[in-house]
Amino acid sequence: MMARVGGMVLLVLVLGDAAALADENSDLDLIPDAATQPQPPAADASAAAAPNQRIYLENAFTGTARRGDLPVPFPPPKPSTWQERLFLDARKQWALGDRANVTFSDRFNLRAQDNIDFPGHENTINDFREGYVSWEALDRTYLDAGRINLKSGVAVGFNPTDFFRTRAVVDPLSVDPTVLREDRLGTLMGLGERIWQGGTLTVAAAPKVDNPTPVYRNTGLRSFDPSFDRTNAHDRFLVKTSADVAPDFAPELLVYHEVNRTSVGANLTESIGQKTVAYVEWAGGNRASLIDDALRYGRRTGTLPANAPSALPEDSSVHFQNQLSVGASYTTESKITFNLEYHFNQAGFSRRDWDNWFRIGGAPGAASSVPAQLWYVRSYAAEQQDPLTEHSLFLRADWVDAFIPRLELTGFINMDLYDGSSLVQVTADYYLSNAWTVGGLMIADVGGKRSDFGSLPQSTSVLLKLARYF
Amino acid sequence: MRTAALVLLALVAATAPACAQTAQEIIAASDKVRNPGEPFRSTNTLTEFIAGKPRDQNVLVVFSKEDPATHQFRNLVRYVAPARDQGKMVLLDGRVLWFYDPNSKASVRISPQQRLIGQAAIGDVLTVNLAVDYAGTLLGDETIQDASRKDRQCWHLDMKAANDQAVYNRVEYWVEHGTSYPVKAKFYSDSGRLLKILYYRGFEEQLGRIRPTEAVIIDAVDTSLVTTFKFGDFHAQDIPDAWFQRDYLPRLQPE
Repeated sequence: MMARVGGMVLLVLVLGDAAALADENSDLDLIPDAATQPQPPAADASAAAAPNQRIYLENAFTGTARRGDLPVPFPPPKPSTWQERLFLDARKQWALGDRANVTFSDRFNLRAQDNIDFPGHENTINDFREGYVSWEALDRTYLDAGRINLKSGVAVGFNPTDFFRTRAVVDPLSVDPTVLREDRLGTLMGLGERIWQGGTLTVAAAPKVDNPTPVYRNTGLRSFDPSFDRTNAHDRFLVKTSADVAPDFAPELLVYHEVNRTSVGANLTESIGQKTVAYVEWAGGNRASLIDDALRYGRRTGTLPANAPSALPEDSSVHFQNQLSVGASYTTESKITFNLEYHFNQAGFSRRDWDNWFRIGGAPGAASSVPAQLWYVRSYAAEQQDPLTEHSLFLRADWVDAFIPRLELTGFINMDLYDGSSLVQVTADYYLSNAWTVGGLMIADVGGKRSDFGSLPQSTSVLLKLARYF
Repeated sequence: MRTAALVLLALVAATAPACAQTAQEIIAASDKVRNPGEPFRSTNTLTEFIAGKPRDQNVLVVFSKEDPATHQFRNLVRYVAPARDQGKMVLLDGRVLWFYDPNSKASVRISPQQRLIGQAAIGDVLTVNLAVDYAGTLLGDETIQDASRKDRQCWHLDMKAANDQAVYNRVEYWVEHGTSYPVKAKFYSDSGRLLKILYYRGFEEQLGRIRPTEAVIIDAVDTSLVTTFKFGDFHAQDIPDAWFQRDYLPRLQPE
């Protein structure tokens, strides 16, 4: 009896094992015939030598819905309700021997919209982003000279340590902070960098070669002009260094000087488990409030009369003020990456500033110069790429292969924590092939009438695009 | 009873060679087959098949160097194709992972989980010593078919992540007796879900010994997705440690 049971157990074990192996081999049935053929040779040495470049042609059409009955009237001209844009975007690097290279980056735009004349110089806008020479003078010691887009910061929604961001973005199609960085002007500078095993030291000096100019509007952009007035209107200096102080910890410290203002900053990141990265980006320095900065700049550049009184209570005191971006990214197994960040801009609008902005701007019988001045402060903040409000929350999600392969969905919400109003953008990109991408995005300014985003003249925008990569 | 005992004895005897090597030794021997013992550069071509039809192709250049302190590889990956991704780079050095986009000139620190997403799952092209990141258990001896449906006598191993740098939480691994050639692997998520099935093939001499130069990965979640990997253009190359600084990413030049 025991022998029979033992034999049956063995039979079950053997048969079970055979079935499992049959299942194991059935995995091969999932490989399509085309993939069982010998694969073409891997890209050869020419792949490793492939130039560092991206060239693409994109057509984008944007339709915008405007709000009526704004609590603070928007000064003319009104924002456009549609824009058609065709642009050629090129970034390319050429080697000059073993130790030097030249980088060129540019976007040439043809555009038409309902509030600019056609034809006219406003229909052609060229953004000369970068053009510089890089030389490896010693092993991993580099000297760069020319127009360079020098980017700093570890956060996604707001980068306090990205000191060269101010005024650098020209007429963006998307308001996603990660996309804004792709189309911004570099700064004319000389840069030296030393990279060693345990850290990096970077020194940059950017000379003043032009004078400050008024804040640009979408209807007053320069056509063919390097726009050094945006990037080199002052002497600017940056020193930054990072060091591996622990196996998983390499903080970056920065010192930046411009005119008579010096700022310091720091970037910290830490990986937490498999799915989370936490980060902190901070910068601080002596400065005035955003309102005071804006008004002084407006008077200096002639947009506001030199002796015009401020519509808003002015606080010209200069003291140490902080900017902070603290957050974390989290990636799910279903290929969604979330970034949640808290943004703090101490010089930005406080609750009292917001109350003043709406009360003064909406006062019956106010001179037209009053709302113009109030809106000027907001456009100044936008051009500086500073959060307008003191406290805000930022949530971004990026979903690769969303629902179907090759579809990427991206969305973000930027919420003013004083009034709960938000800027919301959702983007969809579908990669038709390696060369073609079709996509669209929707931007909505959501909130009550007397709120940060609810008071903007645009309520929603929809963009459709088609891109061809070369 | 005696017959059953004899069969059992025969089964035990059949698995005896497996006991001569520990699971960790088998995995380490297989690592030596997959990975050159010197710093090197390779070019990897990934072709994605959707419902049996070839669709996208990615080309990545990977620089790999073993860290003598951890015995794990450090990797630097540069995207060559498709055109929209050309020039993007990823640094993978232990727990320190950075993604660099030359278009925005921004470096973003990414989590280990993000190695598995994107146009090409970076985690699948990395040079990794599995014996460092996984603790293996020998499940037994099995004869399974390789990618060309040829029978291979293999050790069947169950590997659990031994540290938080492991790309996957659990891996089933089949390694051929005698040659230590990797034959097949199955990768599982934290939740125990089967994510991918991988077959090695195209064994050729590269940098001093026979190594797999191709792999087929079946997406177990959506089995209509299959990706083939072709590893080629192997070059032994001196790679300075400073290359594994995130600030070096913008400086990496095509060669």
